Amino acid sequence: MKIKISKNELLKSLSDIQGIIEKKTTMPILSHFLMDVKHVGCTLYATDLGTGIKKPVQMLEIIEEGAFCVSATRLYDIVREVQEDLTIEYVDQEWIKIMSGRANYRIAALNPDDYPLWPTIEDEKSIKISSPALLSMIEKTINCTGENDPRYALNGVLLHLQGDLKRITMVGTDGHRLSSVSKEIDLDFADEIKIIIPRKAAIELKKQLMEIDQELILNISKNHIKLNLGDREFLAKLIEGTYPNYDQVIPKNNDKLIYLDRENFMGIIRRVGVMSKEKSHAVRIDIQDGLLNIFANDPEIGEANDVMDIEYSGEPLSLGFNAKYILEALSIMTGKNVAFELKDTLSPTLLTEEVDKDYKCVLMPMRI
Amino acid sequence: MPKTIILVDMDAFFASVEQQCNPSLRGRPIGVIGSDKRTVITAASYEAKALGIKTGMNKFEAKRLCPEIILVIGNNRKYTHTCSELAKIYARYTPDVEVYSIDEAFLDITDTQHLFGGAMEIGAQLKKEIKKTFGINASVGISHNKLLAKLASDISKPDGLRYISMEDAPSVLEDMPTDKLWGIGRGIGNRLKLMGITTCGQLGRMSETFLRSHFGIIGERLKEMGQGIGSFSVLKETAIAKSIGHSMTLPKDIINMRDIEAHILKLSEMVARRGRLYNLLGEVVSVVIRYKSFKTFTRQKKINTHTYDTHIIYDTAIGIIKVIRLAEPVRLLGVTLSGLREDSGQMSIFNECNKKDALIKSMDSINDKYGEFTVSWASYLDIRRHLGVISPAWRPSGLRRTDV
Repeated sequence: MKIKISKNELLKSLSDIQGIIEKKTTMPILSHFLMDVKHVGCTLYATDLGTGIKKPVQMLEIIEEGAFCVSATRLYDIVREVQEDLTIEYVDQEWIKIMSGRANYRIAALNPDDYPLWPTIEDEKSIKISSPALLSMIEKTINCTGENDPRYALNGVLLHLQGDLKRITMVGTDGHRLSSVSKEIDLDFADEIKIIIPRKAAIELKKQLMEIDQELILNISKNHIKLNLGDREFLAKLIEGTYPNYDQVIPKNNDKLIYLDRENFMGIIRRVGVMSKEKSHAVRIDIQDGLLNIFANDPEIGEANDVMDIEYSGEPLSLGFNAKYILEALSIMTGKNVAFELKDTLSPTLLTEEVDKDYKCVLMPMRI
Repeated sequence: MPKTIILVDMDAFFASVEQQCNPSLRGRPIGVIGSDKRTVITAASYEAKALGIKTGMNKFEAKRLCPEIILVIGNNRKYTHTCSELAKIYARYTPDVEVYSIDEAFLDITDTQHLFGGAMEIGAQLKKEIKKTFGINASVGISHNKLLAKLASDISKPDGLRYISMEDAPSVLEDMPTDKLWGIGRGIGNRLKLMGITTCGQLGRMSETFLRSHFGIIGERLKEMGQGIGSFSVLKETAIAKSIGHSMTLPKDIINMRDIEAHILKLSEMVARRGRLYNLLGEVVSVVIRYKSFKTFTRQKKINTHTYDTHIIYDTAIGIIKVIRLAEPVRLLGVTLSGLREDSGQMSIFNECNKKDALIKSMDSINDKYGEFTVSWASYLDIRRHLGVISPAWRPSGLRRTDV
């Protein structure tokens, strides 16, 4: 195998896959990528067994067909430094020789035959969705997704398709808060499909979606999802398991409603949150006639409070919250005003946007 | 102002409690054992000690040495109750009490001694009250740090009262064997001996670099110890503990998984309950196993969540044991929860989690009122009530700190 490739083409290809390749060294081959070199077209494969990207690569010249498998970060570091186009050759079944200008490298390579196979997807259903719409759904739910949660299903975003209602919903929750965003969508099937996309795959997909603006076809099989993003193919293995019933969690009859200016609300929480306890970020919000008071204290550091005017007349209420959760929810929202629906000290609360009623954020209070 | 620290140490605690409960045992050589199937003597009365019986001795050996010895099966409830009651006596003299183990407590009387006529007076009063209330002799050591207070109590045993002042410390330490010092065990003691260091006086005069090169970071500390400098202050329960643990020697050696599961469940419940009492959640579960041959080891596992839920701790602990594949019958089991953080009070969005939390808290409050294990998990029903001997580091209340 011997090729000539331009620096920029290789640099772009390698930077695209840096998020996918596995940084931990449990299986060394997963920190590598596979380049398949054929006269009809060259393809780059990268996978961590959970997420995968496959994309065509343009060569300047194919001197000899074949394949090579080499560390993605190592080669990326090299390509960033060299100044000219590269000649890459696979020699002795164990080395990659690289020449660029007068610089020479020899780096250890693995057998390309050992690289994990790109899975074939069967029994798929497909939906059409625009890339900005999918991106916005991921952005609004990914923050709430669990990380390393022993309840495995929570470590991903739920994609819920309701054929009969022509609705698509994405949900993320870590057990303390939940975000859900729904959209009308054209579906050509009547069934209900629920899949869980792992957090890492969703983050990677988000990154890839930022670069494009097009209509997408999302293929869903029992174990995988597959998307064609521009010239790339993106594939993710789904989390098996049952996602909790999210609709049950979203409060329907919270009787105390406050409209808040989003920027002002964020400001007051940031100001007072500075003094909240480091790990719990706990703040207390007191609501009374026309006023919202917010307090934070750490017995070892000090305390803070601030007040903002609100339109509210009803019984006073005190709730504890993780300031970080409120800030994250508010920063994802875009409109001027938000609605905060409350019931009592220990019941779930609901934050919604005035402009986008389909986006709901449920925040569970803290006991204070 | 220099600190004034008192160490109160019960003489032959378990044996003395047994002698108080049963007058026919008073004045006679007795040995306390964990259960009728256990052979190791966990405590011996002073009468027995005088005849050469030592803690840790095998019961057959003891019988040979002293045929008239009376073996008594220990009862943990008696000891823990006495320990809690003793803490009430200490609290009359100072709020700064660290119950260090079931039979030892440090009292910081720096700021309260003038109210009671001085440190020696407090020491004498404590001894008198303990004798009057429980009939037990206590050895009391007084000094300016915990190290010397402990030494004072140890060298005045039994029934002693000793004060080591700053000025006296060098002369007391000069010819004191190093292994009498709290913190220098047989291991370090023997290594010191090999270097020709047998007394604290010598140890205090060694160069820091020399000790450091042989003992690493604790080398510096060793030199200070030889000089009688103790930096430990009396710990109140305000600082966040590093771990919560329980271990017990089983009534008999076991290898059957069912039996092990039952004991691990009980230990997990004790650990989890203490976590809940202090609002501490942990993310690392460790299991200690001591085989019949006394080979002891610890294995731990990180769980990806902070918890004080008995069942998660239990499942993790059992998971660890299943991987080990026991090689021998087990005589001691322990469960520890570490990687602790305070419960922030964040509630779960899922009702069933909050319900489970509420259920556990209700069980705790019933057990607080009517005694441990009044309400318990059905899988406990198998376990007999009478379980083995508790570790000497156990404390009836508060958290065990393992960083001392």
